[in-house]
Amino acid sequence: MKKVININFQGQVIAIEETAYEMLKRYIESLKNYFSREEGGDEIVNDIENRIAELFGNRLKHGINVITDEDVEAITNSIGKPEDFDSDFEEAQKENYASHSKPSMPPPFEENNNQSESKSLYRDSKDKIIAGVCSGLANYFKIDPVWMRLIFVVFFSVLFFVYILLWIILKPMPLESSIAKRLYRNPNDKIIAGVCGGFAAYFKIDAWIPRLIFTIPLLLSVVGMASFFPLNVFFGDFDFKWGFNWTVLLIYVVLWIIVPKATTVKQKVEMMGEKDYIKSIRETVSDNVASVKSKEESNPGIVSSISTNTGGESDEVVSNAGTVNMGDLPPEPPKYSAARTAKATPTPERSGCLNAILVFFKIFLGFAAVIICMVMIAVSVGLIFANVELASLKSLFINQGYESSLMWAFIILAFALPVVAMVIWLIRRAGNYKAYPVLGWITVVLWIIGIVAGGVLATRVTGKFKEISYDEKNIQLSSVKGDKLYVDMLNYSKDYYTFDAGFGFDSEIDGLPNYTLNEDSLLFSDISIQITESRDSLYHVALIGSSAEHDLKVAKNNAQEFRYEFQQKDSVLLLPEFFSIPINQGFRLQSMVVEIAVPLGKKIEIDDSLNGYERGISPDRLFNKLKKSRRLNDYLSWDTGKEYIMKRGELESASDTVQHLQNDTTEMKR
Amino acid sequence: MNIENTQSQMRKGVLEYCILSIIKRGEAYPGDIIDEMKSSGLQLLEGTLYPLLNRLKNAEILAYKWVESTSGPPRKYFRLTDKGRVFYSLLEMTWNELSNGVEAVTQKTIQESNNEAK
Repeated sequence: MKKVININFQGQVIAIEETAYEMLKRYIESLKNYFSREEGGDEIVNDIENRIAELFGNRLKHGINVITDEDVEAITNSIGKPEDFDSDFEEAQKENYASHSKPSMPPPFEENNNQSESKSLYRDSKDKIIAGVCSGLANYFKIDPVWMRLIFVVFFSVLFFVYILLWIILKPMPLESSIAKRLYRNPNDKIIAGVCGGFAAYFKIDAWIPRLIFTIPLLLSVVGMASFFPLNVFFGDFDFKWGFNWTVLLIYVVLWIIVPKATTVKQKVEMMGEKDYIKSIRETVSDNVASVKSKEESNPGIVSSISTNTGGESDEVVSNAGTVNMGDLPPEPPKYSAARTAKATPTPERSGCLNAILVFFKIFLGFAAVIICMVMIAVSVGLIFANVELASLKSLFINQGYESSLMWAFIILAFALPVVAMVIWLIRRAGNYKAYPVLGWITVVLWIIGIVAGGVLATRVTGKFKEISYDEKNIQLSSVKGDKLYVDMLNYSKDYYTFDAGFGFDSEIDGLPNYTLNEDSLLFSDISIQITESRDSLYHVALIGSSAEHDLKVAKNNAQEFRYEFQQKDSVLLLPEFFSIPINQGFRLQSMVVEIAVPLGKKIEIDDSLNGYERGISPDRLFNKLKKSRRLNDYLSWDTGKEYIMKRGELESASDTVQHLQNDTTEMKR
Repeated sequence: MNIENTQSQMRKGVLEYCILSIIKRGEAYPGDIIDEMKSSGLQLLEGTLYPLLNRLKNAEILAYKWVESTSGPPRKYFRLTDKGRVFYSLLEMTWNELSNGVEAVTQKTIQESNNEAK
């Protein structure tokens, strides 16, 4: 008793015994493999399939209802098997002939019946990752090449030279594997590369079990990274917690590389075992039959159709009068002929070197992709939590309007979109939905747009610090009673906000300004007090405000908008704690130099409250500009809380003078 | 050196010539070519015919058109291109040379062995 199935073969519906169908499928698979070496191989296979369909048609016409094993056998004999086609092929395969009678039509059902009598060690040119050394060894010891590869990967340091040596010594040879069950990557049940699917098929368990084992450590580390993630990636001290489980990832990538993908029928049988494979085939076939039937119902009377993949300018379709009305033909012939469901990917001959490069490229891409994904997820999660705090910081660097849109485009497209896309992709993958490659491409294009937006934004923002300019105001102090000027701080009397980046790291980011309660001005404390010698007998104060901008003129305008109103009460000079600027200027490295000119012989003391204001002139570019135009060498060093007397070229501490006198008197006493 | 290999080499050489010869007479589809070859007693594996036709087509020696068939999928009918006709006539010349030469050489061998037998 044999089961008969209907298949759509080259546009013809053919009743065929299931076993015969299997034979036919394997035969066509072997042809595809064979002709994949040749230019136009698909077309040749298609021609042959056409011919087989025609021969089937003839047979069915002569009153036979169903195609049997014998029919398929007769036809394949008349067309010939790949090994009969040319003698070059024969010679290359000769070694295998001794052990296997039908290498091109591997009968998985009677595998291992014939053991090879003589066996020697070769490199396997058919099943290889780099040079086929492991595969050849595995073939020699009759084990799955995957385990041999694993040994070589684990003991890489020791076996590396062994590998190279064997690569050189051994001759390449297309070997026929002799083991019935092998670990493959399963292309029909995959999320990334089918490694877990392959394990599932190998151990006959559900695929979610290996998947869970692989993903749990990864998920844990993503959660870990996100919770530790501080924004200090962008600011200085790098304290990124890479509490990341690399091992499991490494294992997956290694398996990805060393476990081959099951593409041909034979490999799938080896992967799943014969029974399960036939079961899975049955499911596919019955699906196909169902779809063929529905097609037929909608297009009654159509027996033949024209294959579209013919190609070449000489193609013409000539319809024999009356036989088939072209208008009735469906524009796309039904391509799901059952024999084609399992597509064979031809494995083109590559040189060992190229193969190695490809493998390393694969590793590199895999690692890069995973790292990028992890960082993306972590950054996105971080941004969600950080958003509130960053909103205020943003106004310092990014203008409303164009730049703001750029920033949102960057955040959404470059960070949020990949995360969303990845989640959707995983869900669709897990649910086995139909793939829309267009979606992927759109995502990639949008992501690139996001990155470009980020780049434009970055150049715009850094451009704001391109030019630096300063504006100087000279103010003559009203005459000071006595001969001493006391400089004190005028504290900012109101409350103010500070920019706080949060996340538990130091909120006083150097140089970031505060802002006023009504949010109209920024308050900078970046003030440097410098003392110099006055050219006349009066105290002078010069206020040099400096600001950066993309344009020198704008920078100058910015600097002119600084507000710094000191007060003088007799001999006390009150310097405000902050200088203020309109908030719309944003952060442009604004700084202020307060230059106090002291006449010769007069005194000056700076209160302790101004501790910190004796800092040097920053930024460096302002310093350089001042160096060119001013007498920076004249600036004298001082300390808070000390009284100084201006001498020619130096500030002399009053206490020093006292000490001088004391020294003098002690000396005189002697 | 095995005999099958030598035999297949010999066949292979003339195969192209025979196929082109059939096509030169008139447009033919692979089924016709196989039937004619077989009826003339020339062994031909169909599986070798298709790649050969494909190669000849790629070399622009042959061109084809699709013709609907009553008994199955549409067929490819092949014909010689201009280039193909030149190619064929060159093959024809070579074949004539070869066949005359081979005839002359082998005939002698046959005669001598006949003489010895006598």
